[in-house]
Amino acid sequence: MSLQTTSVDSPSLSPAKDSPADQPHGAVLGGPGPQCEARQEADDAVPLSARAEIHEKVRNEPCILEIESFSLWYGPKQALFNVTMPIPEGKVTALIGPSGCGKSTLIRCINRMNDLIDSVRTEGDIRLRGNSILAPDVDVIQLRKRMGMVFQKPNPFPMSIFENVVYPLRIDGERNRRVLSEVCERSLRDAALWEEVKDRLKESGLRLSGGQQQRLCIARAIAGQPEVLLLDEPCSALDPIATAKIEDLIHQLRGEYTIVIVTHNMQQASRVSDYTAFMYLGRLVEYGPTEEIFTRPRLSETEAYITGRFG
Amino acid sequence: METDCPKRPPSKVRFPERAVPAGPRRRQRVTPPRVRWADRTARTLITLGGLGTIAAVLLVGLFLVWVVWPLFQPERLAPAARAAIPFFGAPLQTIVDERSTMFAVVFGDGRIEAYRADTGERVATEQLFEGGSNGERLSAWTFSPRHGTFACARDDGQLCMGRIGFATSFVPPKQVPRDVRLKLDAAGSGASGLRPDRVRPAPRKPPSEACAVFRSGILQKTPEGQYRLQQLQVEQQAPLRRKGQAPVVLLDQAESARGRVLAYLTADGRLHVARTVERKNLLTARITVRLREGSCPVTLPRGQLPEYLLLSGLGDTVYVVWSDGRLQRFDTSQPQRPVRAGTTDLIEEPSVRVTTVVFLAGRTSLAVGDSLGRVRIWFPAKTGQRDAADGAVLLCGHQLWASRAAVRRLAASTRSRLLAAAYADGAVRIFQVTTERELASVSLPRSERAVNTLMLSPRDDHLFALTNRELFAWRIDAPHPEISVRALLGRVWYEGYPEPEHVWQSSSGTDDFEPKYGLMPLIFGTLKATFYSLLFGAPLALLAAVYTSEFLTPRTKAIVKPTIEMMASLPSVVLGFLAALVLAPVVEEVLPELLLAFATVPFAYLFLAKASQIGCRELSAGIGRHLQRLRSAGALKRWADWFIPLRSTALRERWHTAGMILALPLGLSLAVWLGPRVERWLFAGDIMAWLDRQTGSGLGAWFLLLMPLSVLMVAIGFHLWLRPALRPVAASWSRQAFALLDLAIFLVVCAVTVGLASCLATGLTALGWDPRGTVVGTYVQRNALIVGFVMGFAIIPIIYTVAEDALSAVPASLRAASLAAGATPWQTAARVVVPTAMSGLFSSLMIGLGRAVGETMIVLMAAGNTPLMDWNIFNGFRTLSANIAVELPEAVKDSTHYRVLFLAALTLFALTFVVNTVAEVIRLRFRKRAFQL
Ligand SMILES: Nc1ncnc2c1ncn2[C@@H]1O[C@H](COP(=O)(O)OP(=O)(O)OP(=O)(O)O)[C@@H](O)[C@H]1O
Ligand SMILES: [Mg+2]
Repeated sequence: MSLQTTSVDSPSLSPAKDSPADQPHGAVLGGPGPQCEARQEADDAVPLSARAEIHEKVRNEPCILEIESFSLWYGPKQALFNVTMPIPEGKVTALIGPSGCGKSTLIRCINRMNDLIDSVRTEGDIRLRGNSILAPDVDVIQLRKRMGMVFQKPNPFPMSIFENVVYPLRIDGERNRRVLSEVCERSLRDAALWEEVKDRLKESGLRLSGGQQQRLCIARAIAGQPEVLLLDEPCSALDPIATAKIEDLIHQLRGEYTIVIVTHNMQQASRVSDYTAFMYLGRLVEYGPTEEIFTRPRLSETEAYITGRFG
Repeated sequence: METDCPKRPPSKVRFPERAVPAGPRRRQRVTPPRVRWADRTARTLITLGGLGTIAAVLLVGLFLVWVVWPLFQPERLAPAARAAIPFFGAPLQTIVDERSTMFAVVFGDGRIEAYRADTGERVATEQLFEGGSNGERLSAWTFSPRHGTFACARDDGQLCMGRIGFATSFVPPKQVPRDVRLKLDAAGSGASGLRPDRVRPAPRKPPSEACAVFRSGILQKTPEGQYRLQQLQVEQQAPLRRKGQAPVVLLDQAESARGRVLAYLTADGRLHVARTVERKNLLTARITVRLREGSCPVTLPRGQLPEYLLLSGLGDTVYVVWSDGRLQRFDTSQPQRPVRAGTTDLIEEPSVRVTTVVFLAGRTSLAVGDSLGRVRIWFPAKTGQRDAADGAVLLCGHQLWASRAAVRRLAASTRSRLLAAAYADGAVRIFQVTTERELASVSLPRSERAVNTLMLSPRDDHLFALTNRELFAWRIDAPHPEISVRALLGRVWYEGYPEPEHVWQSSSGTDDFEPKYGLMPLIFGTLKATFYSLLFGAPLALLAAVYTSEFLTPRTKAIVKPTIEMMASLPSVVLGFLAALVLAPVVEEVLPELLLAFATVPFAYLFLAKASQIGCRELSAGIGRHLQRLRSAGALKRWADWFIPLRSTALRERWHTAGMILALPLGLSLAVWLGPRVERWLFAGDIMAWLDRQTGSGLGAWFLLLMPLSVLMVAIGFHLWLRPALRPVAASWSRQAFALLDLAIFLVVCAVTVGLASCLATGLTALGWDPRGTVVGTYVQRNALIVGFVMGFAIIPIIYTVAEDALSAVPASLRAASLAAGATPWQTAARVVVPTAMSGLFSSLMIGLGRAVGETMIVLMAAGNTPLMDWNIFNGFRTLSANIAVELPEAVKDSTHYRVLFLAALTLFALTFVVNTVAEVIRLRFRKRAFQL
């Protein structure tokens, strides 16, 4: 194991305030409320180093996605600070970090869901297989078709289970019933939901339980056979059994898909992921192979978070 | 809300107590009484308010029902008097006075006697031809109650005219003898005589209870305490000189616009028609009356003289009726030259006889009673068939058949469609002719079955029957005889109409007019207005709502939405005024252009949208990049952000806005350019004449009607077959090239649409079908198209706001899910957002519908208010609401008309209530399906 620290120098495209070093965190994210308090405590406990600690092993992997010096503002408020993060192909990458640190924001940038928010402004670049996804002439629709996304909250459509699953095919104009039902079955099986719903595919997706709904959303996300699967806390609404099923699913899908998963559950991250990135206050703090992050974190902040001293 | 905490049951599991820092941080949490009080007050107030609202709505409904209720109350004949009469047999004529206190009887020898209506006591006697009365008798007699005029023929051949009436005067109390005064006072002034109550003409007591005979008349005490005297008054003019000497057998008279007309039949079988000409001698001031007459022979079957001769109200038609049912009609519009106009058989059965014939009020309809107990109502109507000299035929519009006994006497009201009939078995019935309803019936006692005379009082409040020895009087309790459910909602055969129809015509210039209270035309008008305005407004509003909620940035939306909502602030009277006085005349001028604009404006939009695909993305991206560079370099100020959006999506939105702003004038100018050409091609150069079916063929109409269908068919075909075929092409071609291809395809599709429509139209025209007169037809300046526009304008903001809210209420997570799955915004809108918001969209439509149904001012001003039942978009109509607004101010309170208007209001209320209820039910069903989020 090399203990080499790789630093990413930030080309200062943006004004000086982007530089994380000379920015008091309280001032950036300062606001009333309990979260603020928590952060303040965290700040006291864990001093942040300026640069992300990216383990060498990550950089050696062939990567499908490269996030380069990526910053993001919600209006005047900056939510991501100069994140640089390669995502290896065919692996499971977990994003961990305390609430509000920008995990969802980052994962949403990967399929440009942040376009929907009017006030968002970005700097830096994200590349999918070497092509920038932020370039103005990128066809966002086409881009999203290459990614599947599962959101933090289950959001099945108010349609039948069947229609929910085959939605990505429907919008591609697929009308062949045979193809549709094949895909439906395969996706539902993959999402470990088939056995439970195979007799009631015509029923509304909203009739399912929360956990089933989440698996339905996963089935929907994989129905389009995307290259990258973005899972934003897919298990937050699930019981341990359903969680285990989804973790099984992730294990199954490993290799076939590149998976980025956001989770608050350290055990889950350690169980399912190959690589883990720890984010804190909009910054990538440490990023490396999962067992290293969990067993030998290089930074004390990471250790503090993993061992549950804050967050 | 009792906030007292229910006692928690002691739990088995003991949770570890939360470590609470001891001391001052611990607080006792109690709800302050003030909060509880406020809570309770608020609850009470809200409950009261809610109940109050429900009660208010119910009260309105109940009030309407309460006003309408009397319309449907059963009619009654209440016995009012029975008395012996001092004469025997059938007199020539009986005449009742206005207040049903007395009646005059004309006998064949020229005697006229007045009797008390309640006791049968003789009050006065007069004699016709007093000067030379030497045993002459009247050979023919006619009297018109409306004018109080009579005409008679003596058996010496002389014609005589005059007037019989009742003079009313007020007697000073001092001149009234004490005993009479006491008697009248004892009866009570309140109950005396008949109250001049127009609504309930029936007095509480039998007629003339508080009457006394005085000065050969009847004295009554009015409620005001005056003594009113009614006296018989007979005027007689000098005998008229007439041509020929043959005795007059039958005689009738009418009051035409140019004077009195007499028609009489002489024993030699000639019909004479004469107009009286009055000359005033300027020196002596004496008026001489002369007859200007003409005559023609009547074909006498088997030499038999007819039994009845009737002259219509305007004096232009003479009906001659034999008792076997044969009727001959003569056109006497030129009295000097009567012309035979046709014959009709009133009775098919050979053995059945006509027993009596009278005119109904207005002297147009004949009521014919026969020995089978039928009363048939015949009236002339123009049916279009030209077999009669004047183009009219006599139609049997109604048949009142309530009994098997022969009809003995008929009495028609002089002011309404009431008809009383006495039958041979002693039954007396009273009918409402228009609705063919038997209102009430009574039976005479066995001994007095043969009714000689039947009379309805001038105010329709009493019915009198004279038998050989007795007088019977009944009070008629029928305030609203015209109304029945069938008359309101069904087809009714009105006088002069060739067939039963739905008609609303509540008033007219003349008194003897038959009111037509068919609500159907009004309900139809309401539906028509609603339909056309929704047809115009709903798609626009819904599409605008979808566009705003799904495709506009929040910033633009924040401007667009309030702007559209501001449309709602225009008062509808202003809209109606603009529609009627500005829009209607303009539309009349530019109709072909306007119709074209419906096609060209969407075409222009789509064309520009497709055209802007070519290069728009690259261009806006380039501009965006450039601007962004400027911005980062600090060359642009912050406020410029709104005008110069930095993100390329926002920039594209501006592009689209610009395109849209451009598309409207483009589409309109296209329409203006094409207008005259299309008018020449489809509408024979003049669309107004063409719509009126004066020129051209049905081609244009078919084209108009088939165009939407053709668009639909082509669109479906395109989506089903062409799109899947294009998909692989789209993947392989470059964006620019594909955009070009798309534009080309669009143009081809448009051409195909037009071609398809014209092919179908040509085909249908070749089959000889012409749709003019159905959905399109004769153009009237104020029409459904105008109302559709303007009312559409009025309902757009309502539908838009509610629909937009419903769409915006769709959780963003669903939109995100769809977009993340790679759907385009349009797919997201169509497949996820709209279906999810369906209940809201539906209720927005229903709210729009409710507004359209109840809207008054716009339709009042712009719809022409013609109560027609005609789907023709270019024709006017009258809605329930506009009808109420127009007619209620002039309806006499508590009259039938007034109550029917309230019924219209109730119908409107019920209509909106049903619409809203159905809407709510459907909405909830949608919601159950969609909104379990
Ligand atoms: N639409 C938005 N507009 C403005 N600020 C936002 C928006 N979404 C997120 N933020 C802010 O950006 C920061 C990062 O949010 P994000 O949702 O990425 O956190 P997270 O790491 O996913 O948290 P959690 O684990 O609780 O989901 C937060 O401070 C949040 O307040
Ligand atoms: Mg999150």
